[in-house]
Amino acid sequence: MSTNANTGPAPVLPPPRFSRGAVGWARDNLFSSWYNGMLTAVSGALIVAGLWWGLKWVLVDADWTVISTLGGFLAIGEYNTEKACEGQNCFWRPQVSLMLVMVLAGMAWGIARGGTARNIAILAAAALAAFAFLPYSFERMGMDVRLLMAANIPAVGVGWALGRHTRLGTVRGVAFSGVGVFVIILVLLRGLPGIPGLEPVSVIYWGGMMLNLLLAVAGIVLSLPIGIALALGRRSHLPVVKALCVAFIEVFRGVPLITLLFMSSVLVPLAFPEDFPLNRLFRAGIIITLFSAAYMAENVRGGLQALHPGQAEAGRALGLPSWQTMTFISLPQAIRNVIPAIVGQFISLFKDTTLVTIIGMLDILEFGRSFIQSYVLEGEVVYLENQKELLIFIALSFWVFTYGMSYVSRKVERHLGVGER
Amino acid sequence: MTTGESKNGVEDIIICRDVHKWYGEFHALRGVTTTIKKGQVVVVFGPSGSGKSTFIRTINRLEEHQRGQIIVDGIEMTNDVRNIDAIRRDVGMVFQSFNLFPHLSVMRNITLAPTKVRKLPSAEAEKIAMELLERVGIPDQAYKYPKELSGGQQQRVAIARALAMQPNIMLFDEPTSALDPEMIKEVLDVMKELAESGMTMIVVSHEMGFAREVANRMMMFDEGVIVEEGTPDQIFNDPQNDRTKLFLSQIL
Repeated sequence: MSTNANTGPAPVLPPPRFSRGAVGWARDNLFSSWYNGMLTAVSGALIVAGLWWGLKWVLVDADWTVISTLGGFLAIGEYNTEKACEGQNCFWRPQVSLMLVMVLAGMAWGIARGGTARNIAILAAAALAAFAFLPYSFERMGMDVRLLMAANIPAVGVGWALGRHTRLGTVRGVAFSGVGVFVIILVLLRGLPGIPGLEPVSVIYWGGMMLNLLLAVAGIVLSLPIGIALALGRRSHLPVVKALCVAFIEVFRGVPLITLLFMSSVLVPLAFPEDFPLNRLFRAGIIITLFSAAYMAENVRGGLQALHPGQAEAGRALGLPSWQTMTFISLPQAIRNVIPAIVGQFISLFKDTTLVTIIGMLDILEFGRSFIQSYVLEGEVVYLENQKELLIFIALSFWVFTYGMSYVSRKVERHLGVGER
Repeated sequence: MTTGESKNGVEDIIICRDVHKWYGEFHALRGVTTTIKKGQVVVVFGPSGSGKSTFIRTINRLEEHQRGQIIVDGIEMTNDVRNIDAIRRDVGMVFQSFNLFPHLSVMRNITLAPTKVRKLPSAEAEKIAMELLERVGIPDQAYKYPKELSGGQQQRVAIARALAMQPNIMLFDEPTSALDPEMIKEVLDVMKELAESGMTMIVVSHEMGFAREVANRMMMFDEGVIVEEGTPDQIFNDPQNDRTKLFLSQIL
């Protein structure tokens, strides 16, 4: 007989606790051996030096007046200039568009269970409202502009109430509202001939971050469903469908986006009737969407291939027709598994919108750069020395949006992780 | 629900005549001929690679047979998608690896097919699902996700999911092979209850205790054909075929 035999049930003990204070933590994590200690010291010195020089430059040496001089141009480009918007004031159209987006954000908050939508809606509205208090003269930034900026806060509140207390308060309701808002924004920005106050503004003058965001949103919303369709087509048993999808994907993945954009003025009109009113914004949007859809298709296909074949078999064995097996069983799992790759593609698409520069559109980057080279005051090009400040500001603007996307993606992943394999 | 009354009033609920199946060059089924009657419980066994799983997977067209004839509940299995869908609605299947849908709750796993295929209102589908979960002994797990359940519980959910389509025939493809030993019994008990209720069942399994107790018939597969069939009594006590004798001596 073993002497270890225990008669009663084994006692349940609490796990051992190690609490050794800050010194103990530092010894374990920073100075566990002499070379780790050296690495810690060297990288610590680099961080301190970087912070010192960085902060000194940001706070003392840098001349940020280039940003304040550019001001609203970075946001909307030449949209509200005299040549774009002859004899009228057009600033309110992008601003109302922004408010509509905030209403949507509020609706998302209204229906969401988690706090992510709330955090984003409140943070965005507060940041936008803060612009109302910029220390510009009232001549430069009028009371009307400031009031519309501040109105983003009540806009979120209206959206929240719509989401919480009306029949729009479902995921489907918000999605349809989103599509509706996007169309309204396009009409609002483009204008309607003959309606006072809504005189058309040519898309040539749409610019700044507004242009990047419009292209990115359209591309993101359209490229996912197109990509899914292409992925399914590539897996199809019908040889013609399959060949078409493979050809499309390989061509659009195999050619640089810049080349495709150059070709857009030649290629895109081929797909439309001769007198179809194609403008370059529309062309660029189509090219960016299709380019991104080709990558999206491969992401989705990867997700489908990673699924255990038993999943689809179980669906078919239950009598679900193959399209329902795909819709309710395979696709939801495949897409959930490749969310990181899909969001990566969204981020990459957003950054790629700066390439529309090459077909003559002034996005935030190009507008800033050309402004620096051409802003003349008293016979002198004043801001030539300030490229650094401008580029850092633009980089930061992009980062705010891309970080927001990856933040939301992490939250969605965690939320969907509930029923993981 | 499972009175064994065939929908189309057919007594011979599954008829296979000279069924052949190839995977590329490999001849997996080499002429399977058999008839299964309504309410029979058939245990199929045999060495690995003998074609027993392939055989039951041809009965609901998860594998396509390339020669011969399969008639299920009066409907011949052809390339006609309507026939295939009709047969699949009538034949439930339980897999070795459960194949529950991990992104859906237990309840949704069970109600998905009845609401989408049979167009049941979801309240009714949920009522049926709850009854089935009680029948398999886990009504308290209804709103959990599959990964939160033990293997035995998952397999019982899979059985409930198949029963929710109110099939006349149930196929079990090694239902206990992926389970820890202490969970095998809970699944076999559910299957036993199902057999006693009159369900027609084909079970690929090496659970010989279950076969002895529940089966009406046993089929020994080897190299793509049925080499011997008979009652459990005949198979266990008086096997005729040498390969059956050898195989039984190896597993018992």
